[in-house]
Order: sequence, then C-alpha cells, then structure tokens
Amino acid sequence: MAAAEAAAGKTVMVVGIDDSEHSFYALQWTLLHFFSGRGLDPPFKLVVVHAKRSAPSVIGLAGPGGVDVLPYVESDLKRIAARVIEKAKELCTANSVADVEYEVVEGDSRNVLCEAVEKHHADMLVVGSHGYGAIKRTVLGSVSDYCAHHAHCSVMIVKKPKPKH
Amino acid sequence: MEEYRVESAASGEQTAEEGKGGDEGKKMKVMAGVDESEGSMHALCWALDHLFTATGGEVPDKTQALGRLILLHAQQPLYHFVHPMGPAVYATLTAMESMRNAQKENSIWVLERASQICIERLVKAETIIIDGDPKDVICQATEEMSIDLLIMGSRGLGKVKRAILGSVSDYCAHHAKCPILIVKPPKVHP
Repeated sequence: MAAAEAAAGKTVMVVGIDDSEHSFYALQWTLLHFFSGRGLDPPFKLVVVHAKRSAPSVIGLAGPGGVDVLPYVESDLKRIAARVIEKAKELCTANSVADVEYEVVEGDSRNVLCEAVEKHHADMLVVGSHGYGAIKRTVLGSVSDYCAHHAHCSVMIVKKPKPKH
Repeated sequence: MEEYRVESAASGEQTAEEGKGGDEGKKMKVMAGVDESEGSMHALCWALDHLFTATGGEVPDKTQALGRLILLHAQQPLYHFVHPMGPAVYATLTAMESMRNAQKENSIWVLERASQICIERLVKAETIIIDGDPKDVICQATEEMSIDLLIMGSRGLGKVKRAILGSVSDYCAHHAKCPILIVKPPKVHP
C-alpha cells in the first residue's frame, strides 16, 4: 500500500485549549507523540482552537452593576485568550512545529470545538480531560465528555496522569 | 533526523523497539480494543491510516514511526450466555464446552481479522485475549501494561441507533487512566 498521505491527505487535528493545565498537557502530549522528530513535514496539520467565553456568560445573572463590570470582564477575557494562544505558540515552537493555525472563537467550548471540527474538516479532535473548574470527583470533564459524544470526527481525550502517592 | 532501520518482511515476531534513535519520549505503546463489531475494526483501520504513517519512503514496518501496537480482545465471561431454562438451571457440561469452544473460535476470528488489517498496512501488532467484562478488562490492561494510547470504536455490539457513544467506550473514556482515542463510524453520505 503506497504512502497516500503525502500531499493533500494530511490528517487534520484540532486541539482545543483553555487556560487549564490539562489542556496544555494535552497539547504538549500531542506535539510530543505526533510531531516531534518528524522533521519539517509531519503528516499532520495542527489547528489550535481556544474558546473564549463571552463576558455576559461569565457575569451571568449578576444583579445591578453587572453592566458596569462588563468592559473589565471583557478585557480580562481577552487577556486570558491572548495568554493562552501565546503559551500554545511557545509550546509549538519548542517542539519545532511551524505549520500551525491558531484560532480564538467566542462562545461555549462545547459548541466552539464541534464547529471548529466541521470548519476545518478535521479528522481528529484532541481535548484534555478537564478544563476550567476541574472538580476532583469527576473523572471526565463536561466539555471532553460532550465532544466525545457529539463531535463528528474521532476524539482523542488526553488525560494528565495523577501523581502517584 | 531519525534513522529507521529497514527490517526484512514482517515475520509477526516482536522486535525490540527500544534501541531506535535517541528520542525515547515519542515511542508509544498503543492498544486497540477489538471485538466482532464493524465499529472496532473500522477504528483500527482509521487509526492505522491516520496515525501510523511513515514519514518518508516505504518502511516495511510502520510501527517504527509510532511505537508498539497491541490488539486486545476481551472475552465475555460465559455466565452471560447461560440462562436458566426450565428445570435445568445449569447448562450441561457438554453445552458449556461447546459454548467455550465457540467463544474461543470467535475470539480467534476477531483477532485474525484485526491482525490482517494490520498486516495490510504494514504494521506489526501483538494480540492478546483476556477474559472478563470488556470495560474492566480494557481499563485494567491499559494500567498494567502502561499503555500510552488506547484506541476504541465508538459503538460496538449494542447497536442502538440513538446511542451516540457505546457503553464500553464511554466507560473507558471516563475511567481509563491513559489517553484514549474514540473513532466514530464513517459518515454515511446521502
């Protein structure tokens, strides 16, 4: 079977990241196992997607004064998003991966990631196992669970190993 | 740049992977859970086509690019198939024997099919059969064998159309301690 993946058939991987340790671990894991040591032309195309929460969703049903806080929350979220992408860029360069697309999309992570999969015709979606608000008792975060069920492509859930006692 | 040793034709034996190149961190131990369902066979094909790719030129064994591949088949314990029928609550010895044999044949068939898929794609794979409930068997095996990546189909034997994720893959997504890749069945193009 000839190597058919050369030019057009690169496997497209969308990696969802947020501000959490778990998602950066997932990105690092992916880079390490699929991109390192492949030289300049790995057979994979990487798209890094960050779902930026919208300020109203963060403020929620705040009482009076919620409107005043809006611009501050908004700039805070923008700052977080920029930092996340910056960190992702650093990770990719550290692993010598140059051909990466970075996207920040506003919205709920579940929908953002599933839509990104459609948009980029991704073959695979990579997510960490927990994100914001990782509650210790849950074994799988809600976003990764949602994506495992609903994404239209294969889903890889990368778990950060717990340190052994 | 990594150098790949060109091996002679895949003999089905396991070769020592550890000595290849300096970058130990990227070699993975990959396990694929297989059963009789089309979903798991498709998952294996998909994973092999998309992940076990050669970086350049033809290598007789693409496992070199990524790591070791282990095919795991979980054999359901026999008491699942024995139900009380009338006065005879326990199946007779011969019935048990024949069921055991049928099950063994089935397992062998599954693993042969899976191995064939691997051979076609020039990937060496090891096969294992473990008795027990698939969910537990798979999660335990990933821990015991220090698996780096688990590959599963998304729907297996319980073909309920509305279930978007089968119970075994859902369980493993939650409980396996290693990264897990869930491969969805191919889209049916209208």
